[in-house]
Amino acid sequence: MMRFFAAMADALTRLFADKGARMTMVGSILIYACLYPQPYVGEVVRDIPIAVIDQDGSTASREFLRRLDSSDSVAIAAVADGMPEATDLYYAREVYGIVLIPPQFERDLLAGRQAPVAAFGDGSYFVLYGGLASAVNQVAQSLGAQVRLSRLTAMGVDQATATALVAPIDIASVPLFNPNGGYASYLVPAAFVLIIQQTLLMGIGIMHAGRPTRPGVPRLATPAAYILLYMVLIGATQIVLPWVYGLPQLGSPLTLFALALPFLIAVTAMGFALLQVINTREGVVFFLVVQGMPLFFVSGVAWPLESVAEPMRSLMLLFPSSSAVLAFTRVDQMGADLYQIMPVIRLQGMLALGYGVLAVLLHRWRHPNAG
Amino acid sequence: MSRSLPAGLRRVLRRELRQIRFRPKLAFMLLPFPVLLMGLLAVVFSPGLPTDLPVAVVDRDNTTLSRQAVRMVDATPDLRVALQVPDLAHGREALFAGDVYAVVLIPENMERDLLAGRQPELVTLYNNQLLTIGGIVSRATRSAFATFGSGAAAAALVANGNLPEAARVAIQPIPVQQSPLFNPALDYVHFLLASLMPTVLQIFITSAAALVVARDAQHVNGLVRLRALGGSPLPALVGKLLPYACAYLLTLLIADAIMFGVFGSPFNGSLVLHLVYSVLFVLASLSLGTVLAIVAGDTIGALGMTAVMTGPAFGFAGISFPRITMNGFAWAWGGMIPLTPYLQLRTDQALRGTPVELSLPDVGWLAGLVVLYGTLALLLFARSSARTSQEVPQ
Repeated sequence: MMRFFAAMADALTRLFADKGARMTMVGSILIYACLYPQPYVGEVVRDIPIAVIDQDGSTASREFLRRLDSSDSVAIAAVADGMPEATDLYYAREVYGIVLIPPQFERDLLAGRQAPVAAFGDGSYFVLYGGLASAVNQVAQSLGAQVRLSRLTAMGVDQATATALVAPIDIASVPLFNPNGGYASYLVPAAFVLIIQQTLLMGIGIMHAGRPTRPGVPRLATPAAYILLYMVLIGATQIVLPWVYGLPQLGSPLTLFALALPFLIAVTAMGFALLQVINTREGVVFFLVVQGMPLFFVSGVAWPLESVAEPMRSLMLLFPSSSAVLAFTRVDQMGADLYQIMPVIRLQGMLALGYGVLAVLLHRWRHPNAG
Repeated sequence: MSRSLPAGLRRVLRRELRQIRFRPKLAFMLLPFPVLLMGLLAVVFSPGLPTDLPVAVVDRDNTTLSRQAVRMVDATPDLRVALQVPDLAHGREALFAGDVYAVVLIPENMERDLLAGRQPELVTLYNNQLLTIGGIVSRATRSAFATFGSGAAAAALVANGNLPEAARVAIQPIPVQQSPLFNPALDYVHFLLASLMPTVLQIFITSAAALVVARDAQHVNGLVRLRALGGSPLPALVGKLLPYACAYLLTLLIADAIMFGVFGSPFNGSLVLHLVYSVLFVLASLSLGTVLAIVAGDTIGALGMTAVMTGPAFGFAGISFPRITMNGFAWAWGGMIPLTPYLQLRTDQALRGTPVELSLPDVGWLAGLVVLYGTLALLLFARSSARTSQEVPQ
């Protein structure tokens, strides 16, 4: 046992002596921790600049625009005379949406007819489009409800029934996790699961590609040392980092590490199997650098994994991150317990076993005389 | 090989092509691999918008009306009622297990309260941790319930209360005619894919330049030999990077062919301008990779720096979370990365059909990056190839 610990310590010493491995496994994670969250620290989109065209110029149209301006997500940045002027502002990226109130808006409303308004959102940026659409719809609905209420009471319907008719049911949407809808809370913890996977794979490549494996105790102690180091890094990126950025956290650290262990074993085994296929340091690193982004997009964060067709879906699940990213999110941000993520833990265990066996077989096949 | 190229450039180019030929694994990763990856991404995102996202339902009322509400949720193309659970605890369990994205709760006595005009509350508890999916699910349930409210529920109320028939007409007084400007299909998937493919390619282009230049830089006299072969720094670097420039420009155009050809994405702008900024994008990324290679001095360091610069580039480009909401640092850092102006130009030309003259400042921005990183690469190359040659004698 003592020899095992000594070999682990030796493996870590070797790792920290190698500049490339040190920079990849510790340095780059620190840099990512500072850099990666920067675009998202604003968390939510507020006051999207829009242009308005008020062709009615009535009390009702002004009321509509006042309510729109006071909503959280949009702000009226320009009042345009017509569509050409507004689209020019849009092309110049000074505004990201246009709201038009046609003439006779108020007259139609008073006459009991429909009085439509037009909203042109920025179809090329979905967050901006959604922000404008929901703001305009909310204003139209609240103002519309008022109008309907007065129409019904004018019809002779009593106040209470009229209220019930305008809104027969109350519709409530409750966000269970990430209540503010923050972008950093959404992306940052998830991205770091992938960063952990890629840097661990790279580190293994940098330390061992093209080099003979050291026989005996180090053969098991070296992977164990990497896993230990990465358990610490999991804590740093899944517990400390979200705390520093003030992101909500619900999970128990114990569950987190219970998930981290099989995940890291699977990744480490995959790393050693990869060495048998690509046998130069730079080859392994290049291969891993270019696949990081695509892997994030098949981890179920940006895109539901169940929408990916078979056999592509199963193929993607061969990468530990594809199932692990969401499992980490469920534990850390949603507070899931061990039982709830058991299927993922089982899958990671199977991947660990599979890649471990593969690494050994490939090694035997490539080095038939190595013993 | 064309005779019109300077002799030094031709010598370097010949050597580079020979090296690519003798290292098939590296050649595969540099060239066919990006095309393969583009193809895989296209397959993953090809189904279009996510449909039939699973939700759980807790129907505590279990009346004709409540069952009707559940059916309307299920009928929404975005959603599918995957399971009916007896209470909220079971619903939360399914949410944690990742089996459903939302739990819909219909309270006890919903029908009775509705008919009495007491406005029963229909609640959707949705998983907002997954912002995109959570947004789709909550919007879809809201609209299903709104339809239910103004249709079936209002009809039941009118019938129950002996109200004038006119009260039944549940028209919205202020309908919103909503249209996206210049992305009429509002196709999230193809839009995402169109941004994702250049993002992945930028990583490839920059890494490739970083790798091949750093391979020279990490050998004693590697850069000196390269410079000697080329005659002077410019032909040496151009000859070295020319094969990659051609290959990656071709890959970028193949990605475009997938988008505009296979997926039928709209292209509303100037094709000439599209070609111009595509070339500039490839050149800027190659120059950036060269700079990183010479600064790092070794392949592993160069690739690591490339990963740091280009890995998070998608976020900084402002496609998912817009640039106008970023802090000063993120805004400036994003501006230094070739992908940012490229995607902005691509959006302007492909989706918006922005007049060419309004896109010129962004072309200038991207060209500025080419000049900046190109000059920097040449200066660094000139300096380190000169310095090492002086160190040789000892």
